[in-house]
Amino acid sequence: MANLLWLQGGACSGNTMSFLNAEEPSACDLVTDFGINVLWHPSLGVELGDNLQKILRDCVSGAITLDIFVFEGTVVNAPDGTGEWNRFAGRPMKQWVRELSDAASFVVAIGDCATWGGIPATAPNPSDSEGLQFLKREYGGFLGQGFKAKSGLPVINVPGCPAHPDWITQIVVAVATGRAGDIGLDEFQRPKTFFQSFTQTGCTRNMHFAYKVSATEFGQRKGCLYYDLGCRGPMTHSPCNRILWNRQSSKTRAGMPCLGCTEPEFPFFDLAPGTVFKTQTVMGFPKDMPEGVDKKGYIAMTAAAKNAAPAWAEQDIFVV
Amino acid sequence: MEDQASSSKDDLLRNQLGEMLKNGLKTEWEERAYTSQKVNSTVARLQAVASDDYKSKLVLGGFTLEPYGEDDDISQSCATCMYYLKHRRYCELPELDCPVEPEWSCILWRI
Repeated sequence: MANLLWLQGGACSGNTMSFLNAEEPSACDLVTDFGINVLWHPSLGVELGDNLQKILRDCVSGAITLDIFVFEGTVVNAPDGTGEWNRFAGRPMKQWVRELSDAASFVVAIGDCATWGGIPATAPNPSDSEGLQFLKREYGGFLGQGFKAKSGLPVINVPGCPAHPDWITQIVVAVATGRAGDIGLDEFQRPKTFFQSFTQTGCTRNMHFAYKVSATEFGQRKGCLYYDLGCRGPMTHSPCNRILWNRQSSKTRAGMPCLGCTEPEFPFFDLAPGTVFKTQTVMGFPKDMPEGVDKKGYIAMTAAAKNAAPAWAEQDIFVV
Repeated sequence: MEDQASSSKDDLLRNQLGEMLKNGLKTEWEERAYTSQKVNSTVARLQAVASDDYKSKLVLGGFTLEPYGEDDDISQSCATCMYYLKHRRYCELPELDCPVEPEWSCILWRI
């Protein structure tokens, strides 16, 4: 039996919605098959008022063993560092977050907001938001660089806007079943099993990427979305085309560019007009190259691929 | 699968466009769309043009009969542009959407 507590800070509840839609395993499986006791969750918890405060206080004091503390949303510090803009259970949420993180064996940040601040922390960041252990790419965040949960692990970051349902439940299960040691974390404390490959890995448009054939409209099945529509699949770490959404598709498969939502800089370009869904260029070259490719290599690759592209690559081969 | 090799209709239109350029049609080729802002503004102007108004497309797109300049190892011609369909000899950028020759160029060239 592992006790899990889930709280929301500056959040839209998107990750909660994602979690409740998990299938492998489902939220119910966590309880019935993996022995996870959900102490409280914003959409599932039945306790209110004093009863909820008692659960939280007991977790902090150790009267209830807190095995897994899951946090969704940003830590809100405004105004003036007090956190009063996000009060919860009688006090600023940030105070609960600090004390519960210190009490928990594992701390799991779910979604971009909890991991690195996400959209709320984008300049000018009026709510003075930050993630649990990062603010965008900057290491530290609310809990600080040296923070480690009682297990010895730092915050486990499961980013995404939202995170995929199964990334959430699979990490929770791994932790709850004593396999936390198997979770290798990357430099941004993301589980490598999910975030070492690219969004492009498994993308059905890879042949169009290879032959430099561009999609020029949303929903178009022919063409790669990277060249014109701002897709960040070649430089974003996520398994969106390996662990499909709703078990059948992904953004890029549906003709929607990857927004790079598992990376600390998301949303890129600060959402300035003309920057979303449009590949940014400098002198006719993409501003952001596929990871590991430099300009000279890109030129060589493009010239060769364009020249070698077969006729079918330029045609719409999808008939239904 | 529809055969999208260059059709006689494409060939005819391509010749007409080439003739316009050869006859001295003045196009806005000087200011290249080297920033995203310039790309966006040029595309916005092209979006206001009727789809069959090819003369305006040539002018606003800044078409030339020759490749523009050299950048490192690549010539800025239609042949190397991301929107060019080699087998159809066609520009697939929705705002241009016209047959071209591989050695032509325009200010929206990108790779």
